Amino acid sequence: MSDATATSKPGPARDREEQIFETGAGFAIGEMYRPGDVDDLNYERDLGEPGAYPFTRGPYPGMYRERIWTRRFQVGFGSPRETNDRIKYLHSQGANGFVITIDLPTSYGFDSDDPISDGEVGVTGVPISTQEDMETLYDGFGPDAVSYALSIRPPVSSVTLAMLANVARKKNVPFEKVIGTQQNDAFYQMSGGPLQTVTQFFPLDGTVRLCIDNIEFISKNMPRLNWMVTNGYNLRETGVDAVQDGAFTLAHAFDIFRCARERGLDVNVFARRASFFLSCSIDFFEEIAKFRAMRRLYAKTMRDRFGATNPECWRMRFSVQSAGNTLTRQQPEVNIIRASIEAMAAVFGGAQSIHLCSYDEAHGLPTEESSRVALRTQQVIAYESGITKSIDPLGGSYYVENLTNRVEKAIGDKLAEIDRDGGMIARIKEGWLEKEINSARVKNQRDLDTGRRNLVGVNRFKIAPEEERPIEIHRLHADVWGERRGDYLRQYRASRDPQKWAEAMRRLESGWKNGENMVPLLMDALQNKVTMGECHEAMRNAQSWNFR
Amino acid sequence: MNARKRILLAKMGLDSHDTGIITVASILRDAGYEVIYIGLHNQASKVVKVAIEEDVDAIGISFLSGQHMTQMRRLLEEMRLEKLPVPVFCGGVIPNDDAAELKRMGVAEVITAGTLSSEVARLVDRSLERLQA
Repeated sequence: MSDATATSKPGPARDREEQIFETGAGFAIGEMYRPGDVDDLNYERDLGEPGAYPFTRGPYPGMYRERIWTRRFQVGFGSPRETNDRIKYLHSQGANGFVITIDLPTSYGFDSDDPISDGEVGVTGVPISTQEDMETLYDGFGPDAVSYALSIRPPVSSVTLAMLANVARKKNVPFEKVIGTQQNDAFYQMSGGPLQTVTQFFPLDGTVRLCIDNIEFISKNMPRLNWMVTNGYNLRETGVDAVQDGAFTLAHAFDIFRCARERGLDVNVFARRASFFLSCSIDFFEEIAKFRAMRRLYAKTMRDRFGATNPECWRMRFSVQSAGNTLTRQQPEVNIIRASIEAMAAVFGGAQSIHLCSYDEAHGLPTEESSRVALRTQQVIAYESGITKSIDPLGGSYYVENLTNRVEKAIGDKLAEIDRDGGMIARIKEGWLEKEINSARVKNQRDLDTGRRNLVGVNRFKIAPEEERPIEIHRLHADVWGERRGDYLRQYRASRDPQKWAEAMRRLESGWKNGENMVPLLMDALQNKVTMGECHEAMRNAQSWNFR
Repeated sequence: MNARKRILLAKMGLDSHDTGIITVASILRDAGYEVIYIGLHNQASKVVKVAIEEDVDAIGISFLSGQHMTQMRRLLEEMRLEKLPVPVFCGGVIPNDDAAELKRMGVAEVITAGTLSSEVARLVDRSLERLQA
């Protein structure tokens, strides 16, 4: 990955530090860039206007002049009641978009009182085991008024989607008015890489089927609900570089689109509300180039390869979180600066929504204070810096356009390679992705050990541990939460009609075997008080599959 | 150096963040250890069972979702019941107070994020040598 004008040889700088002139993904960085480095740049073809093909300059015409990106709040802990109270407080402070984090048992489709959930209930997010739990989360709000993005994936997201549909019905909100984001990435959602997370508790093919069931249900019933195709964020967090990030993210999305098309769904309809969740790492220009390149590549692929004729389906929209894996435990306040650099790259890259990591994340879960600092960082960028006021202000920069071209080419080449080898899902199933991730991890550690990559406070500019400022930590009450949820679920199960429950369980099994779309069946089951865990048990039984 | 000492590495509970443990596995292999990594979602009984079967010299567990106190209490209790006296290392995102508490409970070392490879190997070597002495 080099070009004629660039050199990657280390050389002395004015402060006599050794420098390596390449990006994180290994693109050589030249001394400076001139018109000749972008001499084939064609404005209409390669950049275009913001909001127009190929969307390099941004997915919408007015960009931040018309609407500042969404500054999302992440909430979810303890119980649905506590989480709803917190949402009500934040809503009164002016927030209307929330990422709801889900606890680990729920993320795998287990009820709070399943023995496997012991010690994990409410720790990393909110538990959701019943229809009533979802109603509690929406207490005080209609699903047409606040936007929730539940951090979840299939198979579980089919159940939460059915819960959402039931909430809408109960509140007399027509399906076509429901807003929010349905996260729907089966493969990267659980910390990015490990295949075991996709195979241990539910059959992989069944998971993919539910992923497509969701897409079908949403595109036919809920035209305003976004659905997240790929969680590239979690993938990137494993340690892969910007090119792998772009390629594995898009290759996964295109595979899912192919599956949806095989189901008979219309690309001009289902791709309309598809969206992405991406990481923004510390390598400033490379990340900006990545976002711009991915948008252009997506537009080309959707138009030319998928044959989408609806321009809305060419437009790649994404939310961004700053990279947790660039944060340090040492001198944690320095992380605020890292997050600001990453947030600015996301803004120059044209993100629709941004969430910044808190500076204390290498110590524990964020506190209210550290979350507030993360939000204030965004507000300074949005309201003080002025960098939002002209659209794609780096567009046309010799360097940025040259790098965007090179990143696009590298991602495109990798995409072609993955396609040739059977597509991303096949490569994940074979364990190839996990191998790629693991070698990236080893390389990253080696780069830190050797000082090839600088990390302030870790391999450069260290201070003694006793000079570190003490950090306030968010305290957890897993045992109390677990016990309370156990009592709640015992009462919930005791209060239901056993015959209706058994009939609903049977319908789930037969519906699965008949190949029906499971979402309406799950809606019915949940109304008959079938729990989250029981829905999964019924669907596992239908596949004659057991992991216990 | 403890040539060809065997170390069992595992993730416990439902947490699936494995970047740290995969990296540590590679560091320890490079430092001459034989590493047995048994993947995600292990319960204390499984970790102890494998440790006994594989006759390992040490155990390493990594956490990044706040379950370290609960899970480590269970693991140490299970080791006492099964009379397995090998040193246990703990790594990941662990607050300083909890790290101190884990050491009081008998964890040999708590190795947190941002530790360079040479330091990881040195901490593990030192604990095993101390045990031999």
